[in-house]
Amino acid sequence: MAFTLYSLLQAALLCVNAIAVLHEERFLKNIGWGTDQGIGGFGEEPGIKSQLMNLIRSVRTVMRGIGCLLAVPQLEGWKIPGPWGPCN
Amino acid sequence: MHPGGLVAAGTPRQPSKRRTPVSQPGMADPHQLFDDTSSTQSRGYGAQRGPSSLGYPAASASPQAAFLADPVSNMAMAYGSSLAAQGKELVDKNIDRFIPVTKLKYYFAVDTMYVGKKLGLLFFPYLHQDWEVQYQQDTPVAPRFDVNAPDLYIPAMAFITYILVAGLALGTQDRFSPDLLGLQASSALAWLTLEVLAILLSLYLVTVNTDLTTIDLVAFLGYKYVGMIGGVLMGLLFGKIGYYLVLGWCCVSIFVFMIRTLRLKILADAAAEGIPVRGARNQLRMYLTMAVAAAQPLLMYWLTFHLVR
Repeated sequence: MAFTLYSLLQAALLCVNAIAVLHEERFLKNIGWGTDQGIGGFGEEPGIKSQLMNLIRSVRTVMRGIGCLLAVPQLEGWKIPGPWGPCN
Repeated sequence: MHPGGLVAAGTPRQPSKRRTPVSQPGMADPHQLFDDTSSTQSRGYGAQRGPSSLGYPAASASPQAAFLADPVSNMAMAYGSSLAAQGKELVDKNIDRFIPVTKLKYYFAVDTMYVGKKLGLLFFPYLHQDWEVQYQQDTPVAPRFDVNAPDLYIPAMAFITYILVAGLALGTQDRFSPDLLGLQASSALAWLTLEVLAILLSLYLVTVNTDLTTIDLVAFLGYKYVGMIGGVLMGLLFGKIGYYLVLGWCCVSIFVFMIRTLRLKILADAAAEGIPVRGARNQLRMYLTMAVAAAQPLLMYWLTFHLVR
C-alpha cells in the first residue's frame, strides 16, 4: 500500500524522461513515428497516431528545457517538505 | 506598518468571505452563487456597524469616537485603510492566476437539499430520468439549482471522511499509527491524480470535443469515495459479508452513475438523444466512457479491501 504522491512524482518523471530519450533517427523513423512523417492533411480527424506523435514531440521539446530543471531535486536527492510519503 | 493603520475596527472591510450559502424558498437569481447575507458593504469607520459585519462589540464605538477626533490620526487611519484596500485588491487580482477561485466557488455553491439528493443519486441512480445539466445563458447553473451539476463539496467531504473511517478501521484492528493516516491520504490522492491524468490523456488522444473541465473530472472521480465509506462502515459493523454486499451495491451504482453522466459529456452529440452509437469515432468514445466507469469499482475495491479484515 505504498503508492504515495512521491512515487507518483517519480514515476511521472521517469516516464517523461523515457519519452525524451527516444532517439529520433534510429528508432522513431523506423517505426514511422518521426516528427516529419506525421502531419497529414487538414481533415477533422487527427487520429490517435498523429495525436501521439504530436504529444511525443511536444514532450521532448518541453523536457529539454524546463523538464531538466524539474528533474534536479529528484537526482540530487533533496528532501521536499510535504505529505509525499515515507520515501522522502 | 503604521500601528494606526492596524486599528482593525476602522478599516471598511467587506464581509464577503463570511457569506454562508443559505437556501431560500424561492430562488432569487440563478446567476448568484451564494446568497448575499452582508447587510452593510463599506460603511465609514466609527459610528454604525452592520450586524453581520465583523462582530465587534458596540462598546468599542465610544473610545473610537474619541480617538478619531484627532485629525492626524484621522489621516493616518485613512492612509492605512487605503493601503489595506490596495493590498487586498492586488491579492484578489493575482490569486486568480494561480488558483481559479471564481471557478472553484461555483463547485461549492451547494445546499443541504442538493447534497441529500446527490447522495441518494449516488446510491440509487436507476430511477433518475433526466441527466442533463441545465444551462443559464451558456453557463451551467450552480449545483444548488440542478442536481445533475458536479460539485466539489461532496468529494472533498467524502475524501476526508474516508481518511477518518480508514483510521477507525485500522484502529479496531490494532494496526493504527498516526503516519498511516497520512499514508492513506497520500495514496488515495495519488490514485486520484493518476486517474485524472490518465483520463485527460485519453481524452486528448481521442480528440473529444467536450466541455468537461479538469475540475469537473476531479468532482466526478471523487464521488466514489462515498461508496467506499459506506462499504468500510458496513464492513466494520457486519464483517466481510456486509462489506462485500454494500461495496458491490455501491460499485454497480457508481458504474451506472458514471456511464449516464459521462455519456452526456463525452458522447455529447450522438448518444444524448438515445441514438445507438455507430461509427468508429463514437465507438471509441463509448469504450472510453466504459473504461472510465469500470475503473471506479476497481479502485473502490483496491483502496478499501485492506481495511476490512
